[in-house]
Amino acid sequence: MPNPNQCSLGEVMIYQIARTLEDGILAFHGFGSPLVQIALHLAKHTHAPRLVLVAGATYGVNPGPPFLTPTSNDWVMDRGAECHLDIGELFDLAASGRMGRMFLSGLQIDRFGNLNVTRLGRERLQIKLPGGGGGCNLSCDVAHVTIWIAAHRASPDAKGRRRFRLVADCDFITSVGHRTAEGKSRSEMGYRGQGPDGIVTELGVFDFDESGHARLAALYPDVEVETVRENTGFGFPVRKDLSTIPLPTREMVEFIRALDPLKIHERELKPEERARSFPLA
Amino acid sequence: MNPAIYTQTDKCCGLTSLIAHVRPGDCVVIGGGLSSREPMAALRELVRQAIGNLKLAGSAHGIDVDLLCGAGLVAESAESYVGFEQDFGMAPNYRRACEAGTVAVRDSCCYTLVQQLRAAIAGLPFMPMRSVRGTGFMAMHPEYKTMICPYTGEELLLVPALKPDVAIIHAQYGDAHGNLHIEGPPVADILFAKASKKVIATVEQILPTGQLAEKGVTIPYFYIAALSEVPYGAHPTACYPFYAYDRRHTAEYYRLASESAEAFNGYLQTYVCGCESQTGYLEAIGGVKTLGRLASWRQGVEAWQALYA
Repeated sequence: MPNPNQCSLGEVMIYQIARTLEDGILAFHGFGSPLVQIALHLAKHTHAPRLVLVAGATYGVNPGPPFLTPTSNDWVMDRGAECHLDIGELFDLAASGRMGRMFLSGLQIDRFGNLNVTRLGRERLQIKLPGGGGGCNLSCDVAHVTIWIAAHRASPDAKGRRRFRLVADCDFITSVGHRTAEGKSRSEMGYRGQGPDGIVTELGVFDFDESGHARLAALYPDVEVETVRENTGFGFPVRKDLSTIPLPTREMVEFIRALDPLKIHERELKPEERARSFPLA
Repeated sequence: MNPAIYTQTDKCCGLTSLIAHVRPGDCVVIGGGLSSREPMAALRELVRQAIGNLKLAGSAHGIDVDLLCGAGLVAESAESYVGFEQDFGMAPNYRRACEAGTVAVRDSCCYTLVQQLRAAIAGLPFMPMRSVRGTGFMAMHPEYKTMICPYTGEELLLVPALKPDVAIIHAQYGDAHGNLHIEGPPVADILFAKASKKVIATVEQILPTGQLAEKGVTIPYFYIAALSEVPYGAHPTACYPFYAYDRRHTAEYYRLASESAEAFNGYLQTYVCGCESQTGYLEAIGGVKTLGRLASWRQGVEAWQALYA
């Protein structure tokens, strides 16, 4: 970090994700999600000390990893854990209503917060995506979901076409948001959880309006509403009290850097986004 | 038919005989998860014996499933995730095989899998759950049914029992009788062992039964049909405390797999078909020098961190 009074986009995103965590709940981060892994540790270190932090892949509870690894199911990641859950117990916690928050992403995110990590191509399979792990189950069961994506910006290709990551409709629904493909609401489906209440991207933060549609709620200081519109595959309402996202403090940023000396979280960011920097709070 | 129990006193055998328990067309579940404790030596032997047309099911996997896809042994995948996370990204052989249509895509989700295994473990035809309804998985899995709960009146999803033909597991320790001790996260291995018709296992070390009992039995012997002592049997995935994940080797695997199917055949030739035994494989990956590097995580945080740089 060249300027000691600045922080990076990744650090700012981690802080936005951390802010969605309530104190005193049980929350789980999946695998392959370093921004979220760090955000949970940051939240527990700052405003949510009573957080029950369950680590993805190892199912260690309240671990203190010495550093972040590029793979989640590594003994590094559950060092210092108070105890461990097994795969059945972890998902039972969600199904029975004990899990307060989960974090999900997708190669496609639609206007109702449905996610696709299974396949691109509706009729014919064009690209096989890795799959959603337990995201499908958790999107139905967990009390609240934070959606995040570090690749919202869909820059035009040589022919001027944009391949949106935030799309009107997903090619395949891996995880459910507020409306199924048939247009049914969560309460009609009888899901236990309330669904996603935010989408944190590298351009802004959305919440969801009463109809369950994504609504722009906050912007990064270097982003305009128009930029978000250009890079989003659907029209969206904007909150009347649209705000600028808060920036992390020096202490928070130092905590992040100490936890992730290998800068694993930057692998979620496109190279051109890594150059963005912001003043510390 | 009731599931079998296995009572032989000595189940130790070599890798060749161990893998002969797998039949073409079997439904196979693979223990471990992501970059940890995958039964890679057993899978390499599966490739050498070319036992194909396999139907895979599982939770979060990576190089294990990708290797079998790259060797053309997989007919169907009901995994919930196959990839290399933030480390390298999407699984190249798995993608190619799915996109070419040689692997039928039957993706599952972790809890769906858990419930299906639990049904098999309890000898029930199905288990109910709330989730999955309303997602794309309903059309992908016509065998999923819904019912109205006779107690609450709510709609529930029913998922059928999953009884894999074979579970292939790598554990740190076992005894000749077949008892297994797993250190660290068991992932879905215990569920796999109990739900499957048979378990075949590789272990880092075979211990006398008394010593194994002191460590604790994670999976009791009567689920296990056969086992082999195969040191470094999870390489290039981790099997702590013996060795960490070999990121350097995985990078080479990924580079060749990403390049093309032909380039990946070169990998198979060098590290799988060209190595008749695990001893040959360990030489091919760099011998004692590599093994020493992977054991260096014990020397402290700095050494551990260097393995990922």
